[in-house]
Amino acid sequence: MPALEPSANLARRKRLAGAFRAATMLLTWLCLALLAVLLVHATRQGLPWLDLQFLTEFPSRFPERAGIKSALFGTLWLISLTAVFSIPVGVAAAVYLEEYAGRRRINALIEVSIANLAGVPSIVYGMLGLALFVRWLALGRSVVAGAMTMSLLILPIIIIASREALRSVPDSIRRASYALGATQWQTIRHHVLPAALPGILTGTILALSRAIGETAPLIMIGALTYVAFVPQGPMDAFTALPIQIFNWVSRPQAEFHELAAAGIIVLLTVLLLMNAIAVIIRHRSQGHR
Amino acid sequence: MENSSPVLEVRDLTIRYGASPAVKNVSLVIPERRITAVIGPSGCGKSTLLRQLNRMNDFIRDANMDGEVLYRGVNLYDSEVDAVEVRRRIGMVFQKPNPFPKTIFKNISWGPVINGFRGDLQELVRSSLERAALWDEVKDRLSDSALALSGGQQQRLCIARALALQPEVILMDEPASALDPVSTARIEDLMFELKERYTIVIVTHNMQQAARVSDYTAFLDAGRLVEFGETDQVFTRPEQKRTEDYVSGRFG
Repeated sequence: MPALEPSANLARRKRLAGAFRAATMLLTWLCLALLAVLLVHATRQGLPWLDLQFLTEFPSRFPERAGIKSALFGTLWLISLTAVFSIPVGVAAAVYLEEYAGRRRINALIEVSIANLAGVPSIVYGMLGLALFVRWLALGRSVVAGAMTMSLLILPIIIIASREALRSVPDSIRRASYALGATQWQTIRHHVLPAALPGILTGTILALSRAIGETAPLIMIGALTYVAFVPQGPMDAFTALPIQIFNWVSRPQAEFHELAAAGIIVLLTVLLLMNAIAVIIRHRSQGHR
Repeated sequence: MENSSPVLEVRDLTIRYGASPAVKNVSLVIPERRITAVIGPSGCGKSTLLRQLNRMNDFIRDANMDGEVLYRGVNLYDSEVDAVEVRRRIGMVFQKPNPFPKTIFKNISWGPVINGFRGDLQELVRSSLERAALWDEVKDRLSDSALALSGGQQQRLCIARALALQPEVILMDEPASALDPVSTARIEDLMFELKERYTIVIVTHNMQQAARVSDYTAFLDAGRLVEFGETDQVFTRPEQKRTEDYVSGRFG
């Protein structure tokens, strides 16, 4: 008998393996193709409208004069304030849960709750924000109310990503620190947090980029759809990029649909930039190890 | 035994993880400026015992103890004793080198700085590295990352890091088990030099190493202290049959 005679069903097993490989590849390309169609469509419609004037003009009922200045600045305000609110709270919560909290039952409950909160539809956060911040705290339809609502929305994501980053810090670092007579806070402050920082930053940027794209909670808390000014302070009314896009899309004239496409290009550019920063941070931190 | 005074004394120590005991009723006296080796088969409780000597077991959930560990006559587990202070006085070197992902200089200086060291930090870093026989290899690259060092160098850096706190006792948990033979020999040479100033307790599963470096040897089996005495005697004229079987390689 020859030494390497193929076993009886080898050919069939190899066909199956090949088919599975082809199927996964096909589905991957399908996703990418859909994304490409969206991009091409938006670019073809929007690109002619995309110029400096588009970025520096306020919205107008005349399409040729309309721009997204107020929406762009509104989004910048919104995201900056959201970052200010959500990052300290989210990271602190993650540090508590990961480093301080024991394995008591209440902590397991908190953990499950946070995981569930990450899956709650954003409109629900909008309702909470409306009741809590707009009405009860009487913040009105302000940037600060919007940012607080967005913070609630992305807090679970930040907490989960930060916990993941903290958990990936090897215990040997903590033990080395304690063995030198460090307190728990010194250990966290000087060793655990710095080692987890790239992971925390990546997760946070991705969470913030989710907040940039969210529309439903902002509509819910009553962010205005037509704003012809830039917010001067956190208590001012505002609009944001996705709301402006939504507003344009819902008009009957084709020109406004093309403006919406241009707005989508701006929004996607901002999102891709943020995600690129996240990738760079992750890549850098791996290079250092 | 010769008349060196005890630095550490373990009295009737039982350590349990949850309900199952890992160390059972161990008593032993660790003499000053000597190397005491703790040997025994895997899972005999030797590392558990070592970690109890500087309260590193505090971090292990469910670990609990009976008995006493005395350092210069003070019970380390007395409610008035702060574990942070204990660990500053009783240093530890781990099985796998675990330098901080920072510069070589910072690895050494961090411990003293957080413990309120006031003095010449440069000099302290230098003398610590010299005592760990690492100075000549790293003096020109103190601001390089410690992770760029070889495994053996990293372990000596960890020893230097422990020395920088000017401890009286250094606990070593299989400090050479992750290293190649040349690096291992350097660590062993270093231990000989260090015992001039420090009391060393080393846990090892390498019996040749215990025989080479230590003055006293404790043999642990299944959590019990089977035999404790001068290394020569334990290895050449053990009192217990079990010890003889182990040191002659019949089990473990």
